[in-house]
Amino acid sequence: MIVVVGLSHRTAPIAVREKLVLDSAGLPDFLRALVQRPEVGEALLVSTCNRVELVAAGRSGFDSDLGQVAKACLEALDVHSPGIASHLYAHVGGTAVRHLFRVAASLDSMVLGEPQILGQVKEAYEVARKAGTVGSVLHRTLPRAIRAAKRVRTETAIGSGQVSVPSVAVDLTRDIFGDLSGHTALLVGSGEMAEAVARLLKAGGASVVVVGRTLSRAEDLANAVGGSARPWTALQQSLVEADVVVTSTSAPHYVVEYDMVNTARKARRGKNQFFIDLAVPRDVDPRIETLDGEFLYNIDDLSKVVSDTLSTRTREAASAEAIVGREAEGYDRWADAEQATPTIVQLRTRLTSSLEEELSRSLRGRLKHLPSEDRAALSKMVESAVNRLLHQPTIRLRQAALERASDSLSLEQLSAAIGELFAFDAEAEAVSVTENALPDADGDADDSGLSLAPKARVVASRS
Amino acid sequence: MVDIATIAFYFGVIAYSVAATLFFLELARKDGAAPRAQWAPRLLALGGALHAIHVVTASLLSHVCPIDSLHFALSFSALIAVGAYLALRARLRLSALGAFIAPIALTFLVGAQFVGQGGEASVGVSRTLLMFHIAANVLGIGLFLIAGAAGSVYLLQERRLRTKKRVAAMGSRLPPLDALDTTTHRLLLAGFPLLTFGVVTGAVFSHQLVNPGGAEALRSLLGYATWVLLATVLVLRKTAGFRGRKAAYGTIVGVLCMLLVLLLYVVRANAGAT
Repeated sequence: MIVVVGLSHRTAPIAVREKLVLDSAGLPDFLRALVQRPEVGEALLVSTCNRVELVAAGRSGFDSDLGQVAKACLEALDVHSPGIASHLYAHVGGTAVRHLFRVAASLDSMVLGEPQILGQVKEAYEVARKAGTVGSVLHRTLPRAIRAAKRVRTETAIGSGQVSVPSVAVDLTRDIFGDLSGHTALLVGSGEMAEAVARLLKAGGASVVVVGRTLSRAEDLANAVGGSARPWTALQQSLVEADVVVTSTSAPHYVVEYDMVNTARKARRGKNQFFIDLAVPRDVDPRIETLDGEFLYNIDDLSKVVSDTLSTRTREAASAEAIVGREAEGYDRWADAEQATPTIVQLRTRLTSSLEEELSRSLRGRLKHLPSEDRAALSKMVESAVNRLLHQPTIRLRQAALERASDSLSLEQLSAAIGELFAFDAEAEAVSVTENALPDADGDADDSGLSLAPKARVVASRS
Repeated sequence: MVDIATIAFYFGVIAYSVAATLFFLELARKDGAAPRAQWAPRLLALGGALHAIHVVTASLLSHVCPIDSLHFALSFSALIAVGAYLALRARLRLSALGAFIAPIALTFLVGAQFVGQGGEASVGVSRTLLMFHIAANVLGIGLFLIAGAAGSVYLLQERRLRTKKRVAAMGSRLPPLDALDTTTHRLLLAGFPLLTFGVVTGAVFSHQLVNPGGAEALRSLLGYATWVLLATVLVLRKTAGFRGRKAAYGTIVGVLCMLLVLLLYVVRANAGAT
């Protein structure tokens, strides 16, 4: 199992988040230093504008003391950026797995369903892999988190549409014109949102023309968005050339009037034209919508599309949570079954080595006349015998790990009995399940846990 | 051979039906997610392949050239529409047109079964010219079917953008207006010479027929009407910027006239006329 320790937009304002910056060049060293600690065996760091989270596992794989791992991670972050402890949280065990899956699926993002987070999680995994700080636990956990996120994206509409006015405006432009290269966008007036639309149109391949009442300001804006500037008197001619018109002036009256558009339309020979009116009061006469081939969206229209998209995403979040829940349950079952692995491995090793020892002795004595083919056949037979002998115990141990039923022997009891019977001695302690060492199911850390950061929130679950 | 033709027909019907359903469900989805009907075009392509196998094997069995029989000509024109759609789909983001093309292909494949399979050679008509006449019409019908579908989707997309309803819900599943308009125009341009040839040769045949009758006159009239309508759309686009919604309406009406002509052919063939 794993721990997730860090802070996000939910627990820390930007003033705090910006303190916890780990530059990409220094990140591998930070991770290597972390796994040098006796408690931490594996670690990676997910770092975005809205979150910095360490995902870590202990040295003993699935049997590690996760409380100690979380404590070490909290300490490492606090040492790196003093003063952030009260904003840190720690998720442990199953809760950490669910949290990681939710993060990768963008269910914990500031903008629900945003697509970047999955790439950022993949990148974090890759950086840690290259730094050599990923081991068997994270190698098995991260692919499952990524798979859960991909399922969420393909099976739900959580990533549908756009959730910002400029992006919606550009999407609508593409619905009319398709590829934007070869098209001209006219920006009338200035404004942050209009500039953002112009930048997106430019990035899409459109050429941008800026018309302003003050030419110098239009030139500044044109330089900023990579376009060209024209004086106000060129507005009518620019309307003829423009396929997309973005308006954002502070004029108290219509700047683009019906007659202007109608005249331009004739010169454009019926080609479609899209008006994006971001101004309040409006810049474009709404009557132009009655003209063939003229499309007009004002700020209310665009905001409604954004709102509809957000509603869809929120509605889809329930389905996404269900997928994440199922994937996390699958992970839990797999991790539970994994707890039986050390006992099974010890048992197999013991049986195989004993039988091979006996066989070897016989092959040196009474059976030394046997040709190499027969010797190989005997070795094969020993291997088959071990497999047959261990078939039922393996199934039983894995079932015990999964079921935890009160009326049957627990994995701990079975492991202890096997250890006792086969005299695993020192190994018996290692194979015992570490549940006692973990925070309890109510989410309280044990005494040894997190005294370093008394205000840090710890959320734990059954490991 | 009989088995191959029959199996190809039934599996073709199934592939077209499932493709049409998937295309429709894709359009009807309300979640606003990005297009994800990857199976629909694949099934349409499979349907097209089976359709082609059916046409070839069945025409070999009947010893009839596919373009010398109304039965196969009908089927063949839908096949051309499917092929052209698949060729244009990815390049022009026209996937949504499949919602029209798949049912059309299905209708033509199944509908052709109810039309007489024998050669349709008319008395007193040059057989070679007739074959060119049918070949031009088959190709033209295939192109105009897609043009009609593109015009219909143009109207849907235009209505969506103009009414501002289902903007978020539809996402980017419908093709861009400009791509639809350009596709409609190009297909009309490509199909118009074929239509002209078909109308001219049809007029010659009509003149050569011993006893043309009222249905033949109506068929010719509708053929001329189709030609005039589509010619008007093309000329007005060039001279008066007649494009977008008006061009889409003009194209759809023209294609409907063409389908009426086809219907009259079918009626005549089933009535046993020459």
